[in-house]
Amino acid sequence: MTTDKDHIKKSDAEYEIDTLTNKKLLKDHEYDGIRELDNQLPSWWKWLFIITIVFSVVYLIRLWVFRADDLIQRKEFDKEMANAKANAPKVETIEIALLTDATSLANGKETWTKICAVCHLVDGGGLVGPNMTDNYWIHGNTIEDLFNVTTTGVIEKGMISYKDQFSVRQRLEVTSYILTELVGSTPAVAKEPQGELYE
Amino acid sequence: MELQKFTYDNRLSRLFMNATIFWGLIGMVVGLTIALEMIFPHLSGGISWLSFGRLRPLHTNAVIFAFVGNGMFTGIYYSTPRLLKTPMFSEMLGKIHFWGWQLIIVAAAITLPLGITVGKEYAELEWPIDIAIALIWVVFGINLIMTMVKRRVKHIYVAIWFYIATFVTVAVLHIVNSISVPVSLLKSYPIYAGIQDALVQWWYGHNAVAFFLTTPYLGLMYYFLPKAANRPVYSYKLSIIHFWALIFLYIWAGPHHLLYSALPDWAQALGVVFSVMLIAPSWGGMINGLLTLRGAWDKVRESPVLKMFVVAITAYGMSTFEGPMLSLKSVNAISHFTDWTIAHVHIGALGWNGMLTFGMLYWLMPRLYNTKLYSIKMANAHFWLATTGMLFFAIPLYFAGFTQSLMWKEFTEEGYLQYPNFIETVVQILPMYYLRAFGGVLYLTGVVLMIINLIKTAKAGLFVVSEEDQAPALHTADGHGKEKGHRLVESKPILFTILVLIAILIGGIIEFVPMFMVKSNVPTIANVQPYTPLELQGRDIYLREGCYNCHSQMVRPFRSEVERYGDYTKAGETVYDHPFQFGSRRTGPDLARSGVKSGPMYKPDSWHYNHFLEPQKMVAQSIMPPYPWLIKNDLDISTTPRKIKVMQILGVPYPEGYADKANDDLKKQANKIAQGLRDGGIQVEDTKEVIALIAYIQRLGTDIYNTEGSKFSEK
Ligand code: HEC
Ligand code: HEM
Repeated sequence: MTTDKDHIKKSDAEYEIDTLTNKKLLKDHEYDGIRELDNQLPSWWKWLFIITIVFSVVYLIRLWVFRADDLIQRKEFDKEMANAKANAPKVETIEIALLTDATSLANGKETWTKICAVCHLVDGGGLVGPNMTDNYWIHGNTIEDLFNVTTTGVIEKGMISYKDQFSVRQRLEVTSYILTELVGSTPAVAKEPQGELYE
Repeated sequence: MELQKFTYDNRLSRLFMNATIFWGLIGMVVGLTIALEMIFPHLSGGISWLSFGRLRPLHTNAVIFAFVGNGMFTGIYYSTPRLLKTPMFSEMLGKIHFWGWQLIIVAAAITLPLGITVGKEYAELEWPIDIAIALIWVVFGINLIMTMVKRRVKHIYVAIWFYIATFVTVAVLHIVNSISVPVSLLKSYPIYAGIQDALVQWWYGHNAVAFFLTTPYLGLMYYFLPKAANRPVYSYKLSIIHFWALIFLYIWAGPHHLLYSALPDWAQALGVVFSVMLIAPSWGGMINGLLTLRGAWDKVRESPVLKMFVVAITAYGMSTFEGPMLSLKSVNAISHFTDWTIAHVHIGALGWNGMLTFGMLYWLMPRLYNTKLYSIKMANAHFWLATTGMLFFAIPLYFAGFTQSLMWKEFTEEGYLQYPNFIETVVQILPMYYLRAFGGVLYLTGVVLMIINLIKTAKAGLFVVSEEDQAPALHTADGHGKEKGHRLVESKPILFTILVLIAILIGGIIEFVPMFMVKSNVPTIANVQPYTPLELQGRDIYLREGCYNCHSQMVRPFRSEVERYGDYTKAGETVYDHPFQFGSRRTGPDLARSGVKSGPMYKPDSWHYNHFLEPQKMVAQSIMPPYPWLIKNDLDISTTPRKIKVMQILGVPYPEGYADKANDDLKKQANKIAQGLRDGGIQVEDTKEVIALIAYIQRLGTDIYNTEGSKFSEK
């Protein structure tokens, strides 16, 4: 097998022509029958290469000479955090009191299932964290007590603080859900009581 | 001029060809297995050596080093003698190369599922295998170079340039990245640590793509495409420019795997710009391939071989455009750690490497057996299965990557994460994993068709053991003095090899030297301390189980990550990590701060215990596989003293003589953790592996908050 002999034309002493594309074949360039054409680099390709080189030089100069803020990740981060702070909505001042409306409880249930159930189980029976269905409490049984535990956590025992993850309203919703729906229900498997009995 | 007669021996090409087909099938079956494991986490059945973290490295190693590796050798052993008009220098060396390489693959296929791994992506194999690879690679190199020395063609063709670049660069990459100090026959620690290890590793990893998956295959393209199309190569000038530009620029681009990591800005910037500059040189190869088909497009329609080549080259063009885009920091901020990367990889893998290999095999098999391809129809069917399979694989994963990334970054109006629970973002993209697996089934079906077709072809013909050819002897003096520039270099293969070596060394040296010599690149953090012996053992379990295949340990400096995981990772925190464990994909959440009690990732020991035993008990929809054996197996603590000693050799500041006391401390810490678990009602002994792993997880990311002083009392 060699490069298609039928499509080669000798033009003059120097070059042969590939008749299918009408381009010059290089003399003496034949490797196991493979020939090479003497085509120039496509000019769009050259431009593409040049543009990427210019881009690169500008990029490096912006970083190394001008220390451009958007190329220094520490500064980018500070800016992002500052922006978030500036745009943060005002902290809502809501009273810490049991919520009983259906929407709040539904929202509370959603947070419970997605986040808290990992340790307390969906039905509140308790696993890593204590049982929420009985009337035994380590930190008290009022809505304020539950809200405070959820807010500050009990870090050394493995209950983390949800202050930065959930808004005040969300924390209130989920703790209201515990008190109204979980307490008094019957879980599949109940963890043994922890804390003191509240009547 | 007197013609000399000589023969080409086809037996080595045939051996490598069979190995390509065999390992291709195995590698892809393993690929499909892990694709299914990502949907059905219990598929591994609680069997350690079938778990995702151990099989994924097997898949990547098998398809890269076994399938593509044997594929490149098939083509190289076939084309090199013909391009140089001489038999290979030594059939014996060729055989050693072949059997050595297959033994290495078998060793990999045994050790990786057993969890014997260094824990560096694409460089998982342990030190004895690494040494074998280096030796066999040198055998291959000697054979290649000596064949050039005794060639009968004055100039070496562009395909050979690419083979040379492959040989030289892979040797350098492999040796530099694999240097480690053995702990035992099957365990070692790399000499680099943390962010420096990461730089070396991704210099290696990226250039494994460049010089193992790309340059040899460009060489194959330059041989098999003009052969199959019966057309001259489009532009010799383009060959020269894109060859040198490609190999010179590629070597710098590694840091694009570490954008927004703890790598200093200057090094990241080099990764960005050198990636961007790679578009044109890469496309040079694509253009030279596609335009070679000018005047032959009518043939493409009829020939499955050419069709496959066209898709391969197009896929090459697509992924080499996409790669530079992914290297822009703003794009990478979205794509990194998501399935986008996996989609990108597989356009290259299934398209470029897969299709080029298939095309080559369909062309070669009939020639080796002096017959016609058994069925063009079946080959066409394979073409369509492979093409649609690739699309079904990639498109859903692009979508998955994009979706998940946006979910990770979304905030509510009140300024809290919209999806604080990681699992929600996983559940969202599960349907895409089904589609990906379906794509894999299509692609694999195509491969099975190919195998049948090729076997039938071989059966119909008779193997041509050797082919005769003739050529005049080489007169190097011919036209001496007349030749200039590149043409001159082409007639001096040794010089050519040396120039290649210089071109590929520059980038690495310029990036490494400051990173290792200039202290400010890895600012020291005073409270960062070495791991305790128990944590170190736990870390080795983390490596063994391949947790890094799904979990990253690199919090990037973004608000969304700092809120989700905790403070972003600092270079100084990683200085005792031999090897680093940044990971490259977050199938599960980042773990860099999972030990920080005041942080959002913290879970108590009992949670971890239950989670390792049965992840779905703790997170119902989790796709993490269970690790029951960690709870059954006793931790092997006989290795502790030697591990501490090796760490000391590597510069980790344990107190003098600590190796001998290490196990006392280990037992104390284990007892404390196990006692805590027992107090919580979990029946577990101090000696179990899970205790060590929990110790490691609870240590992660805590040092910068540690105010307690040294953990290593010098009693
Ligand atoms: C990582 C596991 C874990 C998660 C997730 C978790 N908890 Fe807890 N939780 C615990 C543990 C452990 C305790 C017990 C603390 C103690 O012993 O003082 C606890 C205790 C509590 C208590 C106090 C119970 C008592 O007896 O006084 C409340 C209320 C509570 N959690 C609410 C929540 C809510 C609401 C969520 C979800 C937003 C949640 N927890 C998520 C582990 C967890
Ligand atoms: C049937 C065909 C295949 C299937 C089903 C498949 C499946 C997979 C899966 C599930 C992963 C892990 C993804 C993750 O971690 O999220 C993966 C990774 C990978 N595969 Fe494949 N694969 C196939 C073929 C190939 C081929 C032919 C190659 C190369 C020639 C290849 C190269 C790779 C590489 C390099 C990775 C690692 C990607 C990374 O680390 O980002 N695959 N594959």
